[in-house]
Amino acid sequence: MSPSIEDLASFRTKNFRASQEFIDKASPILKDVKKAKSNDDGTHFVVNPATVALTRKQCALDVGRLDIAKTAWKALSERIGHDSPRVILLQGLIMEATESLDTVLRFYESEASKNQHNPSFWKRQISVLRQMGRIEEAINELRLFLDTFYNDLEGWLELADIYSSCCQYTSALQALSHALLLAPQNPFTFLQFAETAFSAGDIQLALRNFLIVIDMSDQTPVGFSVRAWWGVKLCARRLIHPPAGTSNESPSKTPVPKNIKLIDQLATERVLTAYSGERGIHNRDVVSRWMTSN
Amino acid sequence: MATKYTITGPAYIKLFFHLAKHPHQRVNGVLIGKELSEGVVEATDAIPLLHHWTSLSPMMEIGLDLAGQYAESAGLKVVGYYQACERPEDTTLFPVGEKIASRIKQGFNHAIAFVLDASQIDGTSAALVPYVPAAPNPNWKPASSSPQPFTVDSPYQLSPPNLASRALALVRDEKLHLKFGDFDDHLEDVAIDWLRNKACVPKDL
Repeated sequence: MSPSIEDLASFRTKNFRASQEFIDKASPILKDVKKAKSNDDGTHFVVNPATVALTRKQCALDVGRLDIAKTAWKALSERIGHDSPRVILLQGLIMEATESLDTVLRFYESEASKNQHNPSFWKRQISVLRQMGRIEEAINELRLFLDTFYNDLEGWLELADIYSSCCQYTSALQALSHALLLAPQNPFTFLQFAETAFSAGDIQLALRNFLIVIDMSDQTPVGFSVRAWWGVKLCARRLIHPPAGTSNESPSKTPVPKNIKLIDQLATERVLTAYSGERGIHNRDVVSRWMTSN
Repeated sequence: MATKYTITGPAYIKLFFHLAKHPHQRVNGVLIGKELSEGVVEATDAIPLLHHWTSLSPMMEIGLDLAGQYAESAGLKVVGYYQACERPEDTTLFPVGEKIASRIKQGFNHAIAFVLDASQIDGTSAALVPYVPAAPNPNWKPASSSPQPFTVDSPYQLSPPNLASRALALVRDEKLHLKFGDFDDHLEDVAIDWLRNKACVPKDL
């Protein structure tokens, strides 16, 4: 594959969501897509995510290039056939940007019933229900979906997100528990679990999971571990100095660590270390003040 | 008499950039400013908080604390909350948004909340739906639409009035929103100055 196609292919394999950057890089290639020979340079691997990136109806100000989306869809359908489920799915995504959601919902319901072994159409159907604000139906369909396709990690994360958006944090934690079983090596899921536990008022459980995230990261606080150390600090402070009128009882019966004050000191040191170099100069003062306040 | 609110250049531009940078996600943040006189509030800046896990509270709490401290150091207060939904036509103030707006109201009695209405973005409309406190606390309700917010006699104004078209042009023509970062971005890279975002605001604003 040419270097630029390699770049674009990496968007797909690494699951990047950088729509504008992708379009800026992909547009020159898509202009020549008709000239590309079949089975040669992986152009069809480029076309698929280009269409997906462009056609999400939720994006009012997303790249909005439906012209490119339709060109890409046409090229893909000529290459792999109009009956391919992938092509039909991409057609549905374009419809989400151009048709009423009722029409799109009927489309996905029809395709889902024709392709019961393919979860993609069912998932889009659930996504459209959420877009329409039919949250209870979306939850019910998603639960049915996950009864059938238990291993769908994205589905469990989506269910957790929907529950959190309704402030049903306990249900969100239950959904995330399944996600953790499926992906125990992913620190971001533990991070989401920790933040959800905090939102549910289970500070001890949140602290435990923030510490798990830190266990999974490098020693130097950078990237997602900075977020986790902030979480540890927030939890430790809350446990050492509980706000008036609140209880420190953990709904999950997770105990408070005996060395909580040492954890608090360590979290303070780690966060301040993250801001100690040149990169932290803009916010160092306000962070230091926060660390010393109660 | 209804409280009057004016949103100035940096506040509106940053709020708009936040939506523009993450059009497929929910975003939220706070407005900082001051009460110029009894019942007259000016929001002079916006501090963007989250575009990720916006229904979860720990990073929101930390971000709010830091924003409040920054505002205080600049002689200002946190005066309002803003959010935008991933669905352009959805202008509901989320439950989490109500909680945050109520918390802001504890520190500033004339606190206001705004929801961006992405379906109204056309360069002429402010595309903001104001929400005001409603009894019983902590509920909030859309402000009266008579007169329509951000029209001539409305208590809600942009200053200067052409901010909507300016913001749209800055996104479309100069892509300044790509230089913008919120607290979520900052947590991934502490070099991102989410409290000031100076690089994305034109000097004349």
